[in-house]
Amino acid sequence: MHKYLKRFVHKSPWLYRINAGSCNGCDVELATTALIPRYDVERLGCKYCGSPRHADIVLISGPLTTRVKERVLRVYEEIPRPKITVAVGICPISGGVFRDSYSIEGPMDRYIPIDVNVPGCPPRPQAIMEGILKACEIWKKRIVEVA
Amino acid sequence: MVNDYIHAGIAMLIFPGGLFALATGLLFKGMDRIAVARLQRRVGPPMLQPVFDIIKLSTKEILVPESANETVFKLAPMMGLMGSLVCAALVPIAGVWNGIPGAGDIFVLLYLFSLPALSFILGGSSSSSPFGAIGFSREMVIMFAYEIPLLATLLAVAVRADWQLSLDGIIAYQTANGPFLLDPIMIPAFLAYLMFIPGTMGIGLFDIPEAEEEVIEGPVLEYSGPLLALFNLMSAVKLMVVLNLGVALFFPLLLPGGIWVNLPFHLVKCLALMLVAVSLFRASTGRLRIDQAFNFFLKYPSSLAYVSLLGAYLLR
Amino acid sequence: MLPFLKILVRNIIKGPATEAFPFGETYTPKRLRGRAELDPSRCLTCGICSHVCAGGAIAMTESADGRGMEFRLWHNTCTFCGLCEHYCPANAITMTNDWHLSHEQSEKYTCCEVQFVEYPVCEKCGERMLPRLHQRLSKGLVGSVSTAEIMRICPDCRRLTSAMHQIKSKVSLTAGRSNS
Repeated sequence: MHKYLKRFVHKSPWLYRINAGSCNGCDVELATTALIPRYDVERLGCKYCGSPRHADIVLISGPLTTRVKERVLRVYEEIPRPKITVAVGICPISGGVFRDSYSIEGPMDRYIPIDVNVPGCPPRPQAIMEGILKACEIWKKRIVEVA
Repeated sequence: MVNDYIHAGIAMLIFPGGLFALATGLLFKGMDRIAVARLQRRVGPPMLQPVFDIIKLSTKEILVPESANETVFKLAPMMGLMGSLVCAALVPIAGVWNGIPGAGDIFVLLYLFSLPALSFILGGSSSSSPFGAIGFSREMVIMFAYEIPLLATLLAVAVRADWQLSLDGIIAYQTANGPFLLDPIMIPAFLAYLMFIPGTMGIGLFDIPEAEEEVIEGPVLEYSGPLLALFNLMSAVKLMVVLNLGVALFFPLLLPGGIWVNLPFHLVKCLALMLVAVSLFRASTGRLRIDQAFNFFLKYPSSLAYVSLLGAYLLR
Repeated sequence: MLPFLKILVRNIIKGPATEAFPFGETYTPKRLRGRAELDPSRCLTCGICSHVCAGGAIAMTESADGRGMEFRLWHNTCTFCGLCEHYCPANAITMTNDWHLSHEQSEKYTCCEVQFVEYPVCEKCGERMLPRLHQRLSKGLVGSVSTAEIMRICPDCRRLTSAMHQIKSKVSLTAGRSNS
């Protein structure tokens, strides 16, 4: 019974955004996926939630600045397992145009395990949705492994 | 005597409450989400999305804040769900279920009705989060505000139905004398009830205690996994209770035929009420400030309900 | 009164505006700047692309055996600004409209555009030399030497050929002057 139910788990990915010092470009695109009827991320069962405690898929944007690092790590810890992390935009993936700056703590995967990368500056809304779908597949695999 | 207990137990666990209320509540929530999506030119989630959400939440881990009162924190959602299930068992469905004998009283219902809101207040206050604190204080204010028009509406209906205080009697009166929705005196009370529904469900204008953008979902901020699922179930059952009550108070019209005709007819009536009072509201309105919402409830729905009450009293 | 009701009714009549994307096709503008691509047969290995690249995504390294230059563009730090395309003198870099770039973490460092630009071989001496603009300069003459011919040989051989031509043309020039 439990195993059968687990097949439906990936149908309700709740999204949570973490802005790790982003320029807001990627955040606007993330908001676009939810708010504009043309993309309608709710069709995949997604919902942007306000609290990290409700999140399943974490969307991180921004290059992890020194100032925001501690807070990002703290918020990340608040998210209940199993959690899937998606790096949105080139900043969290590689540092992007801010790489090697004195105030950048460097690529996100130094501190947080990332599962899916969505490059772009900013990525298209469709590319973000593709990334979310990839994250759902990883989530599905991970749940089956745990069971 | 024992028979009565079994009767009440079945009512609470299986038919009007319990499984039936959970299933219909979740289904109605799904339909509501689709309706809102269509009103906003979106496709919307699948109809079973609330069920998927519950399944998903049950696989997640429960996190309890260090400084929270763990017992109250974990009991609050259960209390809310039980309260709303008892409510669901008390509200009769016209032509299908006559309520637990001697228990379907509007005052009992009014008391039990505050249990879900109370569970929010307990959960929010025990979570020790400042956002939870703001959320539960807002919930408290809005609860006091919407209970006044609710009380006036219930009284108006009871007075109009020849001082019948049991819901069963109110339904019997209406089946004999025509539904209150077609009664000009009761139309203000119906409008007041329409405004009460979004208030108690916390949507649209009155999405104040659980505002995502302002207080990060307020009282349920710290809840995760199965506990959050309980809160979701609670709100689904509460939606059903509010809709059932609305149909019972204002439009318990019966079709000729047995249970199998009247039960779907009742659900259709509930759906129509939900589309007007919940979906349309959610798709078209933004959030008020808490003081504006308080003033709103004290001004418009209350005065509308009082008009009906006065009319019903004078024309008795 | 209540103008939003009119909008809601219109929305219901018009129906959803959502595109079919995750389950179907989506519209991609032709000029959308997506994944950058290099045509190695056109590349001159001049390196202006890596010089102007805003994200520092392009690296050009000469192979150890001197056979050519490796062009490596890491999509994970490319901003799709299109400067490389704009500045490329040979139109070797183009921004395609392919945006399907999301990938799993294991592919993070392999999500690259890697091309090997092989140095052409001098037709005379067989030495490796830097690539030239074959296509553009295939017509016309430089002095009296056909460009197409001179561009296929290395600078050393070219100097030699040119000198040989000069000697020849001097002879013919003096002959021509005496004729007129």
